[in-house]
Amino acid sequence: MLLAKTLRSTTFKLALISIGVFGAVVIALFGYVYWSTTTFVLSRSDSVIEAEQAMLRRTYDTSGREGLIRAIDQRKAAAPLEGAVYLLASESFVPVAGNLKEWPSALDGVNKWGEFKSTALTPGPSATQSLIRAKWEIFPDGSHLLVGRDISDLDRFADEIYAALAFTILLIFALAAVASVSVTRRTVGRIESISATSRSIMESGLGGRIPLRGTQDEWDHLAQNLNSMLERIEGLMAEVKQVSENVAHDLRTPLTRIRGRLEKAGIDKSAADHDPLMISETIADLDDVLRMFSSLTRISQVEATDRKVAFRTVNLVEIATGVAELFDAAAESKGGRVEVIGDRSVHISADRDLLFDAISNLVDNAIKHGREGCIVIVSVEQKDSEAVLSISDDGPGIPPDEFEHVFKRFYRLERSRSMPGNGLGLSLVAAVARLHGARIALSDNRPGLKVELQFLLLDGVRGNNRERASGVARKE
Amino acid sequence: MIRQKIESMTGALRRILVIEDDAETATQIVSFLTTHGYEADLAVNGREGLRLGETAQYAVITIDRMLPVMDGLAIIRRLREAGVTTPALIISALGEVDDRVRGLRAGGDDYLVKPFAFAELLARLEVLARRSTTVVKETILRVGDLELDLVSRTANRSGRWIKLLPREFQVLEYLVRNAGHVVPRAMLLEKVWDLHFDPKTNIIDVYVGRVRRKIDTEQVYPLIHTIRGVGFCVRAPG
Repeated sequence: MLLAKTLRSTTFKLALISIGVFGAVVIALFGYVYWSTTTFVLSRSDSVIEAEQAMLRRTYDTSGREGLIRAIDQRKAAAPLEGAVYLLASESFVPVAGNLKEWPSALDGVNKWGEFKSTALTPGPSATQSLIRAKWEIFPDGSHLLVGRDISDLDRFADEIYAALAFTILLIFALAAVASVSVTRRTVGRIESISATSRSIMESGLGGRIPLRGTQDEWDHLAQNLNSMLERIEGLMAEVKQVSENVAHDLRTPLTRIRGRLEKAGIDKSAADHDPLMISETIADLDDVLRMFSSLTRISQVEATDRKVAFRTVNLVEIATGVAELFDAAAESKGGRVEVIGDRSVHISADRDLLFDAISNLVDNAIKHGREGCIVIVSVEQKDSEAVLSISDDGPGIPPDEFEHVFKRFYRLERSRSMPGNGLGLSLVAAVARLHGARIALSDNRPGLKVELQFLLLDGVRGNNRERASGVARKE
Repeated sequence: MIRQKIESMTGALRRILVIEDDAETATQIVSFLTTHGYEADLAVNGREGLRLGETAQYAVITIDRMLPVMDGLAIIRRLREAGVTTPALIISALGEVDDRVRGLRAGGDDYLVKPFAFAELLARLEVLARRSTTVVKETILRVGDLELDLVSRTANRSGRWIKLLPREFQVLEYLVRNAGHVVPRAMLLEKVWDLHFDPKTNIIDVYVGRVRRKIDTEQVYPLIHTIRGVGFCVRAPG
């Protein structure tokens, strides 16, 4: 099972391909070594032969045939050591002098290189054949002179090269086979554990996680990432479930009231005619339901990924000021105020409407849940590569252990359940922040709550901002 | 096709084309418009709507976003191509965030999300209808004893200067320009703050409330009226 998987796996195929390529390179390398060595050795022995030939020719020219025979006989003594072969033969190729017993039949025409085998260099009972490379010429008196050299070493070298090549290739293939099978097994094993987890998730829910091996390698990283993805999906699923339950609950309450009123109006003939209070209450209830719906769809639309089409370069300070102006009247009615502090302009790429909506929600919360005479401070600052927008109030704040929950849809603090609202405001803020790649941090403002949104500045915008900031600094 | 006629009240064009496929909604819109002094032609599908829009003269056309035979945005595009400049109000049950942008880009002039208050529909229709008839450049706007100087951006009521923030002046200016007509909350947010969403709170009411305190306190009669569930109206008595 695992073996079959191993053989089918992509890793294994890749390993085979790389082994093939590597093997071809090794063969080519050996071929080159062989070729360059033999060429070198042959060219050296060829030049030695040619030099001897020339010398013997000069001997013939100066001392004639007899002198040549003497010279050959002299050289013959040292011949076995040097591996040299000489043969002077008559016009009809009958040996006259030299260490070859007969004219080798394997040789081609005159003045051409040829190779033949002979035992001439090892006379005696233990004669072994040597490979001789030779060349011959015809002297003016018609006799033939052959000069050659033993090149058996080269032959042996070639054999050794072949043997080494064969051994190396075998070794490579053996090692490669072991390595690729083990690597592939490892890969297949890790992939198998991932597939097993996904199967178990498909069969029995999102609880499964991919086991880590603690090796900190890329497989562990992949497993970690997949696990955190699963965690997020599980969280989202739980949230969706919670949301549907909340939607059901928040819908049923006003719908039940509406139904009850209509039923009562249907039975009670006198009231059915015209009851302005009932009608306005029913419309208000329906508006609540619709408002919740549009909040929910708005959040989902913001969470959809293609929203960035409406992104433009906006001045965060201008938006914050707009929100502050809009909510100033509301704060004033509670004897408080909304202030904007910080830099004069901080530019980011954003969807103006959504940012306005998100900041409105935060300021609205601060005023709504704040005390009489509350002071809400909206601060916009550029810090290094970030634009930091914060909304702080001096109200009752949120207990730190509730920080992570307040962004959930429909989540409401116990004390604010009696107040108007549907627990979707901060969810929208979270969705807008996520769309803008901004981080949200909640902290205790002692007293009150501080919500901080950190936006990344765009590269192009960053320089622009710095310029403006320094321009302002100079002016002041 | 349902056609209901009443006598034209002002002489201006008071005929509206309603393109809507849901029979009950269509009947409700038509009867509401009729009781408010408009003539309404109804088209129940896209092709009929396009034919009527191209052949007859209307003050405003309301178009449902999703229609049988031909999509609402396609109708607007075809009408614009045919040179029909009648203001178009898109009525849609689709989500508002992207759809509004798409609808306005297609040549629609305003956008209303279903379900809507009829009063808001009427208010928006009236704004659109007026846009096509009145193009007057004034420097001073007057309603009753309130005077807005558009050049110096100042307001005075019966000779007494009223201190307004720049944004408050904008709000008042928009309401006064539409004096006698209801301005829906969302429209105020659109025109004054350039925002295209429903803030889902009573924040606009609070804001206008402050403007009203500045304008109407210690005066003989109130000018700014809240129309419950819809918006505001600036109106002098008589």
